[in-house]
Amino acid sequence: MAKTYQEINEKIARGDAVIITAEEVIGIVKERGIKDAADYVDVVTTATFGPMCSSGAFINFGHSDPPIRMGEISLNDVEAYGGLAAVDTYLGATQPSSDKGIEYGGAHVIHDLIAGKEVHLVAKSQGTDCYPRKSIDTWVTLEDLNEAYLFNPRNIYQNYNAAINTSSQRLYTYMGILQPNMGNITYSTSGELSPLLNDPLLKTIGMGTKIFIGGAQGYVSWMGTQFNTAGPRDEKGYPTTPGATLALIGNMKEMNPKYIRGAVYEKYGTSMFVGVGIPIPILNEEMMASVSVENKDLYTNVIDYSVQRKAKPSLKKVSYAELRSGSVDINGKIIKTSPLSSLKMAREIADELSYWMKNGKFYLQEPILSFPMGNSLKGLEINEGGLR
Amino acid sequence: MTKKILLSFPQSATGKPMAMELIKTYNLDFNILKASIDDNVKGTLLLEIMGEEADINAGIVFLRQNQIGVMEIQSVVEVNKEDCVDCGACTAACTVNALEMDENWELIHHQDKCLECMLCVKACPTRAIHALI
Repeated sequence: MAKTYQEINEKIARGDAVIITAEEVIGIVKERGIKDAADYVDVVTTATFGPMCSSGAFINFGHSDPPIRMGEISLNDVEAYGGLAAVDTYLGATQPSSDKGIEYGGAHVIHDLIAGKEVHLVAKSQGTDCYPRKSIDTWVTLEDLNEAYLFNPRNIYQNYNAAINTSSQRLYTYMGILQPNMGNITYSTSGELSPLLNDPLLKTIGMGTKIFIGGAQGYVSWMGTQFNTAGPRDEKGYPTTPGATLALIGNMKEMNPKYIRGAVYEKYGTSMFVGVGIPIPILNEEMMASVSVENKDLYTNVIDYSVQRKAKPSLKKVSYAELRSGSVDINGKIIKTSPLSSLKMAREIADELSYWMKNGKFYLQEPILSFPMGNSLKGLEINEGGLR
Repeated sequence: MTKKILLSFPQSATGKPMAMELIKTYNLDFNILKASIDDNVKGTLLLEIMGEEADINAGIVFLRQNQIGVMEIQSVVEVNKEDCVDCGACTAACTVNALEMDENWELIHHQDKCLECMLCVKACPTRAIHALI
């Protein structure tokens, strides 16, 4: 029997909605079958906690007296964008600091702000008739700021490559350390618990979907950059290559520093661990079938990161069950596998989101816009001279 | 028996042939795993010492009497669980599986397996792994 968002929200309000995680639902479907499980379960929670480079924060500092039109801006020696209005800025997660480089970057400033720490704000300006001040040097906390919200242009990839290195040199990549001569494989997903793998055709996740982000209640604000829904899928519709992405928004003032963490990838750069949870309403049997997916049915490609080109070869298609087993066999060689995203943290987030809903603190928001299927990616052509 | 000990020499003790005393007077054998002297002339020596338990203990007393800090360790690598997010990136760096994920996907650190290559220190995205020297 089909359910509506409103009916499920009414159950949440009454405290009798059945809410379980995307890992727990697998056993329930095996026990009861899809039809019965779809009647029984109202919401399935999904989550992920991984490094997501395309993240950052919009901040408004408020006006000083006399006021300044901030041009060059830094927070704890990390440059923030000065091309917005007088005291607005965007702080990118991957921006390195001028003193500590990638060891302390934008992501670390964002974490420190959420943790309530004082942050050193320095800004310069030409000075104008209406904004006469030419420089400012002060310390601010999250509480002092008018607005501070994460706006992450590309988060929670639906699927992602596993990485390997066939060269004779060790590689330092955003996929972690890759040992020479196919010494190891790294992968980054929460697999059967991952939000966009539980709703592969984005039936319930669109603009306006309410989510858990960094411990706050936030929203899906748009399709993420490099949004790709035209890639290859298996017969059940699950993508086998990096697929859809989401742009996410959330109020930093409601976040918990545990769920937003600075990350450093040696000889690569700064990134940010972002904790995201998305509730999937079980509106019908089709949604129940989607969320019952298991790691053994989800596939990705083991990509050779030693090929320094955009198109890198795949050595093997493997399931997440194989990757989670600790090793993968490639041409007779047993290769150790390591995760890069924290399944432990993802489970904690899925549980937290379930807890919120069971206690009537979080309700479903039906998306107001669905994202397109069949949206493909463009590359960047190098057009010398620009004569076209 | 064998013990791994980390010695820290204050400036006053740096330069004295302490290690030789351990061999001569206390009948101990050792392997120097790492040695360094910093800008303040403070020295650090990581030793694997082998001998009778009583001799090792007497040797440690002798070192302490000479103002040398002695810390018995299993590995110079320390994981700060407060900062660790259990992502698993360090397990990619560790070729001897001294760092691995348990069945709940929590990081476990088998200090006895560590070869002190220190690659995990570089691999940790939250910088939760530190080297004592």
